[in-house]
Amino acid sequence: MIYTNHKIEFDPEKCVGCQLCYKACFVDVIRWDSEAKKPIFKYVEDCEHCFYCQSVCKKDAIKVIPDPSSERLHQHFERYA
Amino acid sequence: MDLNKKNLSCDLLIAGGGIGGLVAAVEAKENNPDLDVIIVEKQVTGYGGKANKGGGVLQYFQLDKITPMDFLKFHVNEIGGYLGDQELMLKYVEMNHELLDKMDKWGIVMPRNEEGNYFMMPTGPFTCMISVDLDLCIKMRRQAEKLGVRILDKVTVTDFAVKDGVIRGAFAYSILEEDNTFYTISASQVVIATGSQNYRVGAMWSSGRGDGIAAAYRAGAEMRNPEFGNFSQLIRTGSHGEVVFGENFMYNAKNEHVTKNFTDHRMTDISSLAIREWYVNMINGTGPIHLDYGPDKRDVRAVNQDWQRPYGQRFRECRQEFTNKFDNDLEVVPLLIGEQSCIKVDHDMQTTIKGLYAIGDASYCGSCAPGAVPAPPARNRGSGILNAVFAGVLCGRAAAAAKTTAPAAITEEETDACIETTYAPLKREEGCKAKEVIELIQQAMCPSEYSVYMKLDRMEEAEKLVKQARELSANLKADDLHDLLACHEAEAMVLSAEMHYLASKERKESRGWFLREDYPEMDNENWLKYIIIKNVDGKMTLSTEDVPYEKWPIQPPKKA
Repeated sequence: MIYTNHKIEFDPEKCVGCQLCYKACFVDVIRWDSEAKKPIFKYVEDCEHCFYCQSVCKKDAIKVIPDPSSERLHQHFERYA
Repeated sequence: MDLNKKNLSCDLLIAGGGIGGLVAAVEAKENNPDLDVIIVEKQVTGYGGKANKGGGVLQYFQLDKITPMDFLKFHVNEIGGYLGDQELMLKYVEMNHELLDKMDKWGIVMPRNEEGNYFMMPTGPFTCMISVDLDLCIKMRRQAEKLGVRILDKVTVTDFAVKDGVIRGAFAYSILEEDNTFYTISASQVVIATGSQNYRVGAMWSSGRGDGIAAAYRAGAEMRNPEFGNFSQLIRTGSHGEVVFGENFMYNAKNEHVTKNFTDHRMTDISSLAIREWYVNMINGTGPIHLDYGPDKRDVRAVNQDWQRPYGQRFRECRQEFTNKFDNDLEVVPLLIGEQSCIKVDHDMQTTIKGLYAIGDASYCGSCAPGAVPAPPARNRGSGILNAVFAGVLCGRAAAAAKTTAPAAITEEETDACIETTYAPLKREEGCKAKEVIELIQQAMCPSEYSVYMKLDRMEEAEKLVKQARELSANLKADDLHDLLACHEAEAMVLSAEMHYLASKERKESRGWFLREDYPEMDNENWLKYIIIKNVDGKMTLSTEDVPYEKWPIQPPKKA
């Protein structure tokens, strides 16, 4: 989807820098800060809320908060009776 | 930001590190350990792709109870509408247990009961599904690395180098600013394992953006059956969660059971007919449509909780925690997925370009195995992963056995020309954003009455939007490498939409999941044909190929 309003909460205190969330993101939302050894949630509006990053994080540092109402389904509801 | 240029060479280059690409790499190495294999994946090999985001199910045939021919008859008659390549489908069924044994050997976890048998759930008259843990691609990556396969992550293949109908390699670029490398990769054999075209709509399917299909088209490879990329999935309007096995339970605003006639066992899974029912009710003012599973409110086929899948379970819990927040989330709406998978391949998964293969979701319909239905599951739960494994094995074996010579060199001029085209959106001062193009393509493809329950005037309406998208796409502007990738994906979406409507207007009948309101009948007199689309000197050209059904065991009825 595009133009979405999904959010990702991240707690840097819990993060141990394992990179699994970065690897898990299949749409390049998450980049890696190699100096800080932390993820950068750089392109959150491209998130597909697959929850993969959240589920691989062993420290519960990530929470994906999708906003389905921001996703356009492109059906012609306005044309239907 | 200086661009680094790097030349690589290998025997076998695989674009895409999902399940299909990994299986092809491992199978090729097992059959020919001397083969130098590189996987290039635009995200991270073992984590990207679609196989690890879905239900984690595999199609299983109880071959002690049914014969492969039983399933073939069912599939040809009830699903594929006589267009399926029966030889290939039969081979897929016959190899079912061999494929599962291979996956087991490669370390993929498929839960079994105390007796050592797979947990099985019936999904149709001739099929069952078993489960697989969702770390399957990570397991395959480990296998590939153990065998010496080289892996380049966060690098995307942009175009293929072809001369006189023979592959010579591919061009690729890093999507990370800190790397910023353009690769020229020389290879005598190349595999496209980059998935189908899903127009960046449904979450689970969002990795399939047709970039491999577009690159193959640009290189001159033929496309086959592009009109069967019209899979649509019911989702819940609140959570946007996918509905599994819900099509039998659709009720309209008058509380009429609109899919009552779907209760035939053979019609129990996703089908374009359910989408048609949704549209017909909506346009007639009897929408919206909601699900009613009956007095006990139980989905008749809730996923078997006995399946022990530690990795997948955690994944599922995270999703469940979110969807549970939506009470009474029973209203449903179709969401176009697409699953256009039209790269034409032979039984070795080789395209019409020598040495260029296409596997999995990139070539499912192009292989003709399924007939007139989109890429898996196409009413075959669990066939998505297994088809990719099947195609990966066939391709890996063929690539390992191929007698190849060193490919003709890719010249510096060719590399520079590809760099110029690839990075053009980054150099533009002004232009349109990738998302403006994607938005138009989604508007053109998603409405159910445009791409699923079709009619000429509605398709022409949709094509106007595709045309606008095409015009805008000539002037794309990217802000960074992430955005550059989106530009290339947007271009691929335009191409897929153009092929979809060109072919869909031509096929003047209804067959399988291909439904036209203006041509509601299957036409075996005129349409036992495949539609072929090819890039001829920059022009999209259409032709047809007769379906060679005479050489197959199951014959279509003379008159529909």
